[in-house]
Amino acid sequence: MSSTNSPTMSLPKLSDPDTASAMFEAVRSVAEHSFFAVAEPGDERSFATQASAVSSWLVATVRFEQGALKGSVSCTMPTSLARGLFDAFAGRDPSEPEPGAELVHDLVGEFSNMVCGAWLTRVASSRTFTLHHPTVEPASTPRHDGGPRLLAVIDDVPVSVEVTLKAEPQLG
Amino acid sequence: MRILIVDDSAMMRAMIKRVIKLADVAVEDILEATNGAEALELLKQHDVQLLLTDINMPVMNGADMLREISLNERWRNLNRVIISTDGSTVRREEAEELDVRCYLEKPFSPEVLRDVLNELADNEFAETE
Repeated sequence: MSSTNSPTMSLPKLSDPDTASAMFEAVRSVAEHSFFAVAEPGDERSFATQASAVSSWLVATVRFEQGALKGSVSCTMPTSLARGLFDAFAGRDPSEPEPGAELVHDLVGEFSNMVCGAWLTRVASSRTFTLHHPTVEPASTPRHDGGPRLLAVIDDVPVSVEVTLKAEPQLG
Repeated sequence: MRILIVDDSAMMRAMIKRVIKLADVAVEDILEATNGAEALELLKQHDVQLLLTDINMPVMNGADMLREISLNERWRNLNRVIISTDGSTVRREEAEELDVRCYLEKPFSPEVLRDVLNELADNEFAETE
């Protein structure tokens, strides 16, 4: 089996409008198809206002590789939204016992995994990629490294998505 | 029909199991594995008719597992379905070479998986009649 990966290829950054649009479509598609949730575009001002009322967040990061290009996609969402998405995904009845943190983390990891894969498929469909098992960390405030990020609102709750790209140095 | 689900996400395995139970297929048993290596061990121990597998997994990924399966005559009749976030054309072409019956791209709605299961079960039944 052959791969069309090439070390000279690169991915556009989230500051590029088409790339950001592809990321929002990835988030919307994952939210609607797998979690029966409604996703809308967000903005910095509304995000800051809504986020200030939230004290418990989950940050799920998926590392990916496309040939020599390495990077990661991190989805940050309130823990309350993660639990709501869990119920939708698992079909949990409110009368059933609450899921443990491990299952909720697994769920947020799978959400990020799907967003990352759906985005990569949209921006580079001719190239295969490898996704690593997600890591999920709790946080008291939303993570933001200062770079461009995609903000969205899922079921009226703020969500942010960041992409980090790291191209390996070319030899010769 | 015995089904093997291979995915490193416990939540995804649980969701697939739920859809299988909602589908109109006669299921004898549902086995689970978290990666390709675990799945190959289960395939050696059990007679499985349908394999539902992710691609990106630790230890052994789904593509390497499917390559192993395609080399073993014992698993010639095993129905193979990929359920993956990787919708790249390269991966889809690779799947065709590995005798994969259906390629389901995540995210997918439960109805889509249910329809795939029903169609596979219908074909399986027709072929064994």
